[in-house]
Amino acid sequence: MTEQVKLNPQTSAAAGKAPVKKKKIASLDRRKARAGWIFVLPFVIGFVLVYIPIIYEALSYSFFNYSYLENGAVVKEFVGFTHYSTALFAEADFVQTLLTGLGEMAFDIPAILIFSLFIAVILNQKMAGRAVFRAIFFLPVVVSTGMMESILSSSYSAGSEAMELGGAESATEKLASSLALEQLLMSVFESLGFGVGLVEYIVQMVAEIASIVNRSGVQILIFLASLQSISPAIYESCQIDGATSWETFWKITFPMVTPMILVNGVYTIIDSFTTDSNSVMRVIGETYGSSTKGAPHVSAAMGWMYFLVVMLIVGLIAAIMSAFVFYQRRD
Amino acid sequence: MTENKEFKPQIKRETKNKIRVEFERTDLKERLKTKYLSAYFAKRVIWYIFRLLLLIGIAFVVIQPFITMITKSFMAPQDFRDTTVVNIPRNLSAGIYKAIFVDLHYIKVFFTTMGTSLACALLQTASCCLVGYGLAKFKFRGAKAVFFCVVLTLIIPHGSLQAAIFQRFSRFDILGIFKFLSGTTVTGIGWLDNILSKIHVLNMPMGIQTTNSIAPLLILSVTGLAFKNGLYIFMLRQFFRGVPDELEESAYLDGAGTFRTFVQVILPISIPMMVTVFLLAFCWQWTDDFYVPLFFVKDPQASNLMNYLASDLPPASLALDYTQTTGKSPEFMKAMEYGCGMMACLPLIILFLFCQKQLVQGIERSGIVG
Repeated sequence: MTEQVKLNPQTSAAAGKAPVKKKKIASLDRRKARAGWIFVLPFVIGFVLVYIPIIYEALSYSFFNYSYLENGAVVKEFVGFTHYSTALFAEADFVQTLLTGLGEMAFDIPAILIFSLFIAVILNQKMAGRAVFRAIFFLPVVVSTGMMESILSSSYSAGSEAMELGGAESATEKLASSLALEQLLMSVFESLGFGVGLVEYIVQMVAEIASIVNRSGVQILIFLASLQSISPAIYESCQIDGATSWETFWKITFPMVTPMILVNGVYTIIDSFTTDSNSVMRVIGETYGSSTKGAPHVSAAMGWMYFLVVMLIVGLIAAIMSAFVFYQRRD
Repeated sequence: MTENKEFKPQIKRETKNKIRVEFERTDLKERLKTKYLSAYFAKRVIWYIFRLLLLIGIAFVVIQPFITMITKSFMAPQDFRDTTVVNIPRNLSAGIYKAIFVDLHYIKVFFTTMGTSLACALLQTASCCLVGYGLAKFKFRGAKAVFFCVVLTLIIPHGSLQAAIFQRFSRFDILGIFKFLSGTTVTGIGWLDNILSKIHVLNMPMGIQTTNSIAPLLILSVTGLAFKNGLYIFMLRQFFRGVPDELEESAYLDGAGTFRTFVQVILPISIPMMVTVFLLAFCWQWTDDFYVPLFFVKDPQASNLMNYLASDLPPASLALDYTQTTGKSPEFMKAMEYGCGMMACLPLIILFLFCQKQLVQGIERSGIVG
């Protein structure tokens, strides 16, 4: 990968010098190509001079043992996959956390996608106070990141605990009543013909609503943008033809936003994988900070394995989803 | 509605602009009945109420942590021992906030954080605009590879690069130039090393130490490698792709160069999008808890409000006062955290309320849907 990138500037320069048949067009093309390179130059320079060495160093970190001499020089000792096997077999937490992390993701990603699409559809309708609701829903995008994420979530749980404590009932009574309510709801939905799995999924979604809301701000924005881009004429003609809004949603809105479902799905996976509150990231960070000898190396090895898993999943899901994506043909 | 009016509509009064006509209408009761007693109307009302309740409920979930943070941080020391006090303080006290201002030097930290975030956000917006425009509007060999690299920087979890980033910036060097000029380049070939070690133009045997300053952050920002910059480049690229080519073509015809076209034609129409990117960059830099503690090893306080406030040292004066009454209860520590968190995100909330319209507009018009 790195090689490819380093080569690119040269290959393009070579292509620029090569004799081209249509002279006039070629010179304009070449000028435009050069302008393009000038525009992306900051990134390319940074990528080649800063990022690739960092990646190289991070990779070698996971394959070598470093020892620092007194004069500041570094001695590298190749140890092969030792750090990887340490991460996999000696560190008790890593594999466990990785597996639970993947399990959580299987729940979270559909939940976030469904929720954000639902909210985007609602926020796209005309109603009183829409601006206020939009402002509130986008607040987490801005505020609930980095350090604030943990403070806000602890504050949320403190607040909801406090509210539950407020009543005079004892904890067991509370639990019993909430269980009864849950069962009642389940039986109602089951008698309506919903599957048990679906109902359980929704119940769990409601239970984790706070984290879902906090993590779906950007996705709501992206869905809103795509909803706004659907021509109202299509809806109008549907209405004239007598389609109900349910039909309109599944036949028009949903196919039109499928490209964005793909984008959002990939974004959600990457986001939930790389956020610091992610449990695997936390294990990697803790390993990095721990005082055991060679801990940074093991942490780097964990990071790379994690990256491979993420890439694999992103690729897999993107491949599956893109089979169902509908692209509107534009003339 | 008198009887003698028949089929013909009668003109009652006619002025220059208005005309008033009497004609036979269904009476009011009938009209209201058909309008409001239909299944269609009932369905709409139910949906309206359901929607409103749902939105209010979810909005409450978003707002509730802030409310808890505010109320808890205003509690007086004795409230933390009083078990009947849960969320609403019985004895109001601004002690925590006073401590934040006096002992934690809020004003000073605020301005340093402001400086860092502003500088980083401006640089990031500028470089991401350039890169995004370059990727969107120019066809050149390797454009796809560059875009792939952009996505790659977004995907690689920065946690796995932690050690390498730190190493890189604590001995910052470009292609070994500084090492070369100070004579510490090691090639492994004896005679070459001997010659190289005689060079003493600079005295930086290990490169420049850039940690403990904002230089690493600025370097990352200029090159579009900082936190989530891949996302900004992607958003801007999609936006610029939606800008019609005719605009640039006409500018070229008028004799403007590529760069002038970009500055004078493209940038003015992309202000909402730029505000969006700037806002995201600013806020995410403001609350950053990865790069700042990584680069500011000596004192994380120096550049970032969040990390300073959230570092778990309670302010000296307050610690004494409160721990005497509360015995360092975990609730109190939490309240401290909430007060600090509140003061840290207040500027962001204010900024958000001002820019909220542009944010939504920018993303809606971004044509991420390209």
